[in-house]
Amino acid sequence: MVVKVATMLLEYGAESRLIEQLSSRLGVALGCTSIEMSLIPSAIVLTTLIGDSSVTSTRRAYEQPINMSIVHQIVTICIEAEQNPRDIMRVERALANIHANAYPGWLIIPMIGLSCAAFSHLQGADWAGFFITFVAASVGMSVRRELSRRNYSLLIVFAFTAFVCTLIASLAFFEGFSTTGHIVLSSSVLLLVPGFPYINSMLDAFKGYISMGWGRWAQATLMTLMASLGIMLAMGLLGVQGW
Amino acid sequence: MEWMSLLLDALWAAIPAVGFAMIFNVPRSALPFCAAGGALTYGLRDVLMHAHLSIELSTFIAATTIGIIGVFWSRRYVMPRPVYTVASIIPMIPGTYAYEMMISLVRMNTEGVSDVLLSRFIENGLHAVSILFAIAFGLVLPSMYYTKRKQPII
Repeated sequence: MVVKVATMLLEYGAESRLIEQLSSRLGVALGCTSIEMSLIPSAIVLTTLIGDSSVTSTRRAYEQPINMSIVHQIVTICIEAEQNPRDIMRVERALANIHANAYPGWLIIPMIGLSCAAFSHLQGADWAGFFITFVAASVGMSVRRELSRRNYSLLIVFAFTAFVCTLIASLAFFEGFSTTGHIVLSSSVLLLVPGFPYINSMLDAFKGYISMGWGRWAQATLMTLMASLGIMLAMGLLGVQGW
Repeated sequence: MEWMSLLLDALWAAIPAVGFAMIFNVPRSALPFCAAGGALTYGLRDVLMHAHLSIELSTFIAATTIGIIGVFWSRRYVMPRPVYTVASIIPMIPGTYAYEMMISLVRMNTEGVSDVLLSRFIENGLHAVSILFAIAFGLVLPSMYYTKRKQPII
């Protein structure tokens, strides 16, 4: 039970300290003496101590898209369990009821387009550039969603999305459509910034979970590298020089 | 007039904060706070840069501010802190610098290393890396303070 909670937290991108605190609090609330755990980026080893006997189990964590609302629901469940201790049925029912709360595609795709367009506006692009960025980022986001749904590896999804974004954004260079082409190019791929893994890795490393921090940092760096690979491929194909 | 444009820029910065919050599947009730945080951090950074502070220092101060605010918000609404803070610092990410750095790297590969390209590569790269570190330090600082105390934040 506790190990299931911990695995879900790890999969959906919670911070290590939060994982450890929440699982030990939940364990104590459910009647264990204490919970000890060790974390590595792809698995969890967790021991529950009840009186003198102890049970140790290992779980593999699979890669999932980051989903903060699931993390939030688990936090709520744990606090409820602390208020009503030893009520295992209740926690089980609550865990079975967790839902992903995914935003619908028609909402998220234009929103991401608008975000990247706002980025380009902040960097000082003109209105034609604003429009192209909007189109490029929207198409990129729909490509990313479509590929993720077909269970491609996250790294391939990143590279391909960056490729498509750059292809569309480089329209800005043709026929002098926009005078600020390089801003358009740089802001249309901003939807691929792996902000959460970077910040999580920093938080982990600073709080004493060095191996988790390194693992997440390497993952984020790999994503960035793959995205830049996609950009370079597209630019090499078109011979765009960038300024 | 200047204050008007600062305010407008801050409002523009709220849009990416919400957009990225949606990629991370933030619960619906937290979205307005992400927007407010994004606008606040970007506006604060602009004001500080107006006061002739360097971009790294003002980024650091803005990130620390949102980190402290995030502690209060997370306590009141029972939410892990990164939900608010990560979405709010997204508008400050140095995308253009990193991009320029990469471009000069590619050109160094195709045209050979020249002084202009090398200096541009180092300059932009240093900017991007130091801004990233400023953001990370700013966010970590408040939680470092709270880990000194024994009881958890939420």
